[in-house]
Amino acid sequence: MARAVKTQRKALNTAIAWGVGLLIFFPILWTILTSFKTEAEAIADPPVWFNFHWTLENYVTVQERSNYFRHFWNSVVISVGSTLIGLIIAVPAAWAMAFVPGKRTKDVLMWMLSTKMLPPVGVLVPLYLIFRNLGLLDTRTGLVFVLTMINLPIIIWMLYTYFREIPSEILEAARMDGASLKEEVIHVLMPMAVPGMASTVLLNIILAWNEAFWTLNLTAAKAAPLTAFIASYSSPEGLFYAKLSAASTMAIAPILIMGWFSQKQLVRGLTFGAVK
Amino acid sequence: MSTKASRAAARLMISPSVILLLGWMLIPLGLTLYFSVLRYNLLMPGDNPFVGFENYSYFLTDPGFTAAIWNTLALVLGVLVITIIGGILLALLLDQPMWGQGIVRILVIAPFFVMPTVSALVWKNMFLNPVNGLFAHLFKALGLEPFDFLAQAPLLSIIGIVSWQWLPFATLILLTALQSLDSEQLEAAEMDGAKPLSRFWYIMLPHLARAITVVVLIQTIFLLSVFAEILVTTNGGPGYASTNLTYLIYVQSLLQYDVGMGSAGGVVAIILANIVAIFLMRMIGKNLEA
Amino acid sequence: MGKITLSQVTKSFGDVQVIPPLDLEINDGEFVVFVGPSGCGKSTLLRLIAGLEDVSSGRIDIDGAEATELPPAKRRLAMVFQSYALYPHMSVRKNIAFPMKMANVPEDEQKRRIDSAAKALNLSDYLDRKPGQLSGGQRQRVAIGRAIVREPAAFLFDEPLSNLDAALRVGMRLEISELHERLATTMIYVTHDQVEAMTMADKIVVLRAGHIEQVGSPLELYRAPRNLFVAGFIGSPKMNFIEGQTAEAHGAHTIGIRPEHIEVSATEGMWQGRVAVSEHLGSDSFFHVHDTGLADVITVRASGEIGFRHGDTIFLTPREDQLHRFGADGLRM
Repeated sequence: MARAVKTQRKALNTAIAWGVGLLIFFPILWTILTSFKTEAEAIADPPVWFNFHWTLENYVTVQERSNYFRHFWNSVVISVGSTLIGLIIAVPAAWAMAFVPGKRTKDVLMWMLSTKMLPPVGVLVPLYLIFRNLGLLDTRTGLVFVLTMINLPIIIWMLYTYFREIPSEILEAARMDGASLKEEVIHVLMPMAVPGMASTVLLNIILAWNEAFWTLNLTAAKAAPLTAFIASYSSPEGLFYAKLSAASTMAIAPILIMGWFSQKQLVRGLTFGAVK
Repeated sequence: MSTKASRAAARLMISPSVILLLGWMLIPLGLTLYFSVLRYNLLMPGDNPFVGFENYSYFLTDPGFTAAIWNTLALVLGVLVITIIGGILLALLLDQPMWGQGIVRILVIAPFFVMPTVSALVWKNMFLNPVNGLFAHLFKALGLEPFDFLAQAPLLSIIGIVSWQWLPFATLILLTALQSLDSEQLEAAEMDGAKPLSRFWYIMLPHLARAITVVVLIQTIFLLSVFAEILVTTNGGPGYASTNLTYLIYVQSLLQYDVGMGSAGGVVAIILANIVAIFLMRMIGKNLEA
Repeated sequence: MGKITLSQVTKSFGDVQVIPPLDLEINDGEFVVFVGPSGCGKSTLLRLIAGLEDVSSGRIDIDGAEATELPPAKRRLAMVFQSYALYPHMSVRKNIAFPMKMANVPEDEQKRRIDSAAKALNLSDYLDRKPGQLSGGQRQRVAIGRAIVREPAAFLFDEPLSNLDAALRVGMRLEISELHERLATTMIYVTHDQVEAMTMADKIVVLRAGHIEQVGSPLELYRAPRNLFVAGFIGSPKMNFIEGQTAEAHGAHTIGIRPEHIEVSATEGMWQGRVAVSEHLGSDSFFHVHDTGLADVITVRASGEIGFRHGDTIFLTPREDQLHRFGADGLRM
């Protein structure tokens, strides 16, 4: 009896949860489906669900007309580049704060975090002018720099919380075993922190990939990553839903996949360790 | 574990980060403050005379400013209410035993990973468009007049879109917090005769309080800076109907090339954000000691 | 080889001086145990010797050369940590090889030393496992193996047995003692467990609040504790302390008598009391005696099985030649 009731409850939960989940996911699903339709099918009324002529034409057209892959590559360079540079700067800092904490370590950490709280629009004007004067507008270098600085506090924080979980005795053991500081970090700390570093990298690539303030304001045609490229679809000519969908699908697919892999660590990264 | 040598090494290793972030913060901030007291428009070459608080008084008395403040408030509060309540409900739902929990979780989280410009455009065209959008089709099927969401209710539409993006964030964090609740506590409450509703009210909700605060604060920081969604859907319009503070400053500085005014606006935005930031930092700082 | 000398060494954390000026000489090949209650500074002292902390003042010599400012890696010391501090991402073999890799020992020499250490420590079958797949005792042996292959001037042990269960602890204690016999290398061993100190040490250093209370061989400490603290700390069960008239009768402020130095009888004796708790271990029996008028409780140890029970009257007679007399300043008279 009790088991039957339990199974019924579980079935009910399952039904509701799947219903809600699919509803939330629906816009993404619809975008993916539409990307395989013809433009006429994309706006058909009543909408067509699955029984349409599946085609890859939109993907081809998007690439041909707008050199899609250049923007895709811009996104890759900017997000991966800013994350890796950030990591190189952040690992030593996080090591220092996690393993040689001083009286002011906490203040430094909080201050780093506070730079993240600065609304981007507050420094839009000077940064725009600086970039203009240095010829950095619409360059990947410029964006890599900005995104590195934006995400550096998050990278340091995440690494710091991961490093803190590594017992300092192990690093001391390495030191006793004759390892120099560099060897200690490379041979012992970093391999032990691989899971943490991987999720730090993943989360930061996601954040950089989706960043849509600086990428929109500091780029034009040349260095525009996908965020800015997609925004150019906001004033369309003619029928374009299917092509918009194709471009969107390609823009979100890699991040969706990465995001699903890093969902556990996401919580920790986005809350600066306040929720684990 | 600290010797003079390791402390010296630590200072050396931390300094690149500190120097970079210090420069990143102070240089633009200083310039913003400096520009904000100059009459400085890129369209009007010449000297940029010092004008004191003129820019501020123009900015603060601009009709757009009042509208932008209200819109910013409505946007932040609207999204917060929707995502917190929705997030708690979803977290409770996802915490129940069910088949395919992992997949449902993935479906629910997905919108968070969609870049803002994509989600705004998809919603704008494929759902909210009064002619070809799915909602228009739905309304017609129900015998109703199609509704032009972005023209008739621009701010509400944007609140809807942004809520869709942030609901996963709230859900994920609240779910994580919920799962860290000791199940023995709930069992003890059940033994004490607490009904499900009182278990939620007296045990779960207090346990979630901290996570809710974190969600509120972090989302507020991001929501104050919503930009791309407005840019690609309504361009802040009609009129100022969907212009928030961030967008207003963008218009003044990069579209009207008024550096002085844009900077004054920037300073105002920084002050507003800092009010929230102080609370957030306290929360996180407390956690650091634990 | 492994002579270590500490001269006027102090350590302060901020304004708090945890080690007041301290002198200590550790001879080559000696097994020295630092013992004391938690917070007595024994681990700090070990870390000062290791170089993991630097001294606030004073001088440390290792092997006849000043080492005060040397980084840990240059001191030729090997350390076994309380948590073992094995590298979780490396196999046992790589863990043991790590210090040799850092020292650029040639591959074949590395292999030779690993094999011989593994053989000595019974680890040969586990060389390719990760630390996570080993039991507590095996991890402990890997940590020791990692220390051995360096062929250090001295070994440092920081409470190495405290994470093992009681049975394993006895076994490892013997293994470490054997290791010391075999290698004849200086070993410095930190523990809060006086049984470990008594059984393993050539020389025990009793510490309290960063201060050396007494240095001596286990039996010296047992027979002639320099003060009340050492008297109470060394020996199990604890020494009984009696103050007041009885002590004055012996011309002392306090007298101490170990539980094993008291004769018991059901009929006659110097002191009379009532058994509150009796513990029978088979080989020995412990009685906790109340109402003697001497101290709240007098603990007595009798060999074999003697049948006193709760509430029984018991007569106690201390062995006069085993009485310890202490003055009002707590020092031995």
